[in-house]
Amino acid sequence: MDIDISPLIENWQFILTGLGFTLALSALSIALGAAIGLVGGVLRTYGGKLLDSAIGLYVDVVRSIPVLAILVWTYFAFPLVIGESLTPFSGGVLALGVHLGAYITETIRAGLTSIRPGQMRAALALGMSRFEAIRTIILPQALIRMLPPLGSLIVIAVKDSAIASVIAVPELLRQSQVLAGKTFRPFEIYTAAMLIYFLICYPTARTIDRVYRRLGVLGAS
Amino acid sequence: MIAKRKTKSRPRIGSGTAPILSFEGVVKRYGPLEALAGVSFQVHRGEVVCLIGPSGSGKSTLLRCANALETIDGGRVVLEGVEVHDRRTDARKLRRRMGMVFQNFELFPHLTVLRNVAVGPTTVLGMPQRQAAERATELLRKVGLADKAAHYPASLSGGQQQRVAIARALAMQPDVMLFDEPTSALDPETIGEVLSVMKRLADEGMTMVVVTHEMDFAKRVGNWIVVFDHGKVVEQGPPQQVFDEPTVQRTRDFLSHLGWHGESLAAADLLVQPSSTDP
Amino acid sequence: MTLDWSVVWDNRWRLIAGAEMTVILTATTMALALPGGLLLALLRLSHVHLVRSSTTGFVEFFRATPLILQIYWIFYVLPAAFDIRLSEFVTALLGLSLNVSSFNSETFRAGILSIRPGQWNAALALGMTKPQVLRKIILPQATLRVLPALASTWVSLFKDTSLVSIIAVADLSYVSLKIRSETYRVLEVLTAMGALYCLMGYPQAKLVDWMHRRFKVVE
Repeated sequence: MDIDISPLIENWQFILTGLGFTLALSALSIALGAAIGLVGGVLRTYGGKLLDSAIGLYVDVVRSIPVLAILVWTYFAFPLVIGESLTPFSGGVLALGVHLGAYITETIRAGLTSIRPGQMRAALALGMSRFEAIRTIILPQALIRMLPPLGSLIVIAVKDSAIASVIAVPELLRQSQVLAGKTFRPFEIYTAAMLIYFLICYPTARTIDRVYRRLGVLGAS
Repeated sequence: MIAKRKTKSRPRIGSGTAPILSFEGVVKRYGPLEALAGVSFQVHRGEVVCLIGPSGSGKSTLLRCANALETIDGGRVVLEGVEVHDRRTDARKLRRRMGMVFQNFELFPHLTVLRNVAVGPTTVLGMPQRQAAERATELLRKVGLADKAAHYPASLSGGQQQRVAIARALAMQPDVMLFDEPTSALDPETIGEVLSVMKRLADEGMTMVVVTHEMDFAKRVGNWIVVFDHGKVVEQGPPQQVFDEPTVQRTRDFLSHLGWHGESLAAADLLVQPSSTDP
Repeated sequence: MTLDWSVVWDNRWRLIAGAEMTVILTATTMALALPGGLLLALLRLSHVHLVRSSTTGFVEFFRATPLILQIYWIFYVLPAAFDIRLSEFVTALLGLSLNVSSFNSETFRAGILSIRPGQWNAALALGMTKPQVLRKIILPQATLRVLPALASTWVSLFKDTSLVSIIAVADLSYVSLKIRSETYRVLEVLTAMGALYCLMGYPQAKLVDWMHRRFKVVE
């Protein structure tokens, strides 16, 4: 077998564009997921029975459906519901963000409920409102405590962004497919794509581990 | 040796004036369990009231009812004319006037010692960071921990953590301090440093309600002792009466169960010895 | 917009066949990935440095790259570069099993390491050999601890099998997308696809939650 990396070198800008879309898609879906997860997790924990079951339903439904199904539904079927078409990129961000949001919601809820009730009492005893207590005392500890699972969710988000290739978002995997079809060098191109994903995901996971080892004690009340 | 407090012949502190905090027939139920079955006593300004009695007799529950951390099912708690559990009362405003110290310290582990003390004033009173930090530094000096300001709670001993917790409560400049078994979770060797901070506070005239199993502290520092059993007050009075001439059999049983035989010097020495808390 | 749900009913047998394929893929993959994961876990605990580090590299690589790309890689690269031709189904199984084995190996490793060293010492002191200790003392204890994590992996795998639709394995996703392109009833068919996944996945997810509560390790 001969290896020919010239297709990679000749098309580096094409691949770089894909990488850019992968990073943008991951970042935006993480931002959307984090926003959903923060609000969802706090409301599910402190918002009363009705909100708890409503958000619980969202979480359970999303957790039982594959990302692929959520992606194709959001991109192909959802526009028929709202009567407005979506670009592949915005459909991808929406689907991946809503999907990730369910997992972040659960993680944050688990973190919040793991903080012992005395912390809330101590904050209330200082005269804080429940909202102030959650914002300044409970939530920061919960986030520190949940850093490892939140970190794995970030890595999962990057990996899941590759599935957006099925709705033709021109991200790294999609660009690689196009290039592999054009150049007939699937080995070089898919291997390169694999390495790029690895170089994003692996250091991210390690960094989060390291940060947690330094901060972990601050979340241990 | 140890000078007896000269409270025997004196009338109760503030007895001529209206109480700052009063409990009137307070009832608290958890399902079928009646944790408080009609508890009444009063706290006057400048007094140190110690609540003693067996574990599970309702002392800590009462303390949490005092600043509305728990709802009540009957009776009332009044702080200077304001009914604590009235629906129209803003519980947060009341809590600012009552500092609370917990058995497990409940310091905020993600904040430095300084920020732990400053977070109340900045968050609740909207005090500027600089000013709150100055106040916190001052209070940390007072409890002998100025050098630990930049540390995180996890690196402190239990006794040090509890002293920070006292400073945190004082930072709100409360009218009343509530202590919920402040030394129960401590190693024996660090109990003394916390008790001596509390004694100093009492000497400065702070109004204090203390749930405690430290009988020496109750006898020496307390001005008024309230004995609990099964959610009821079985006896209350000045320490000389409760400890030396208890009028109720229950009190005698409880004290003898603890091995209380009048004077006990060991722990009392901790109180009068100059402690490590002095800066 | 008019909806015509009859398209779902008319194609019910194809959808059911797709769902069957999804279940078969999940079960077969797990059957391969349990021993696969255990093997990788034991190799990672090996005393030979080269074995340990190369296994770790293998596992980390599979965990840190997208499954969908792994499937593509096997599907396109094996025949083109190495002249190895596998059917779509075998390709799918290979990709899923390698991926899930890597995740399982982490679970097993954590389970084995979570058993206190005193247990090893106690069993060795009785005169057992290391393999005996592993088989009779450590693994039985570790099994209970890893059960919830394995169950979570099972649910992820159940959902991840949808990715093999890209190489035309006729699972629920593939069949649904095919019916969609034949009938153009996009909303009905894709909603039915989501609902079917949800119908199958929901009880599994709830079961996993229960297992996490039930087998929570308390030391």
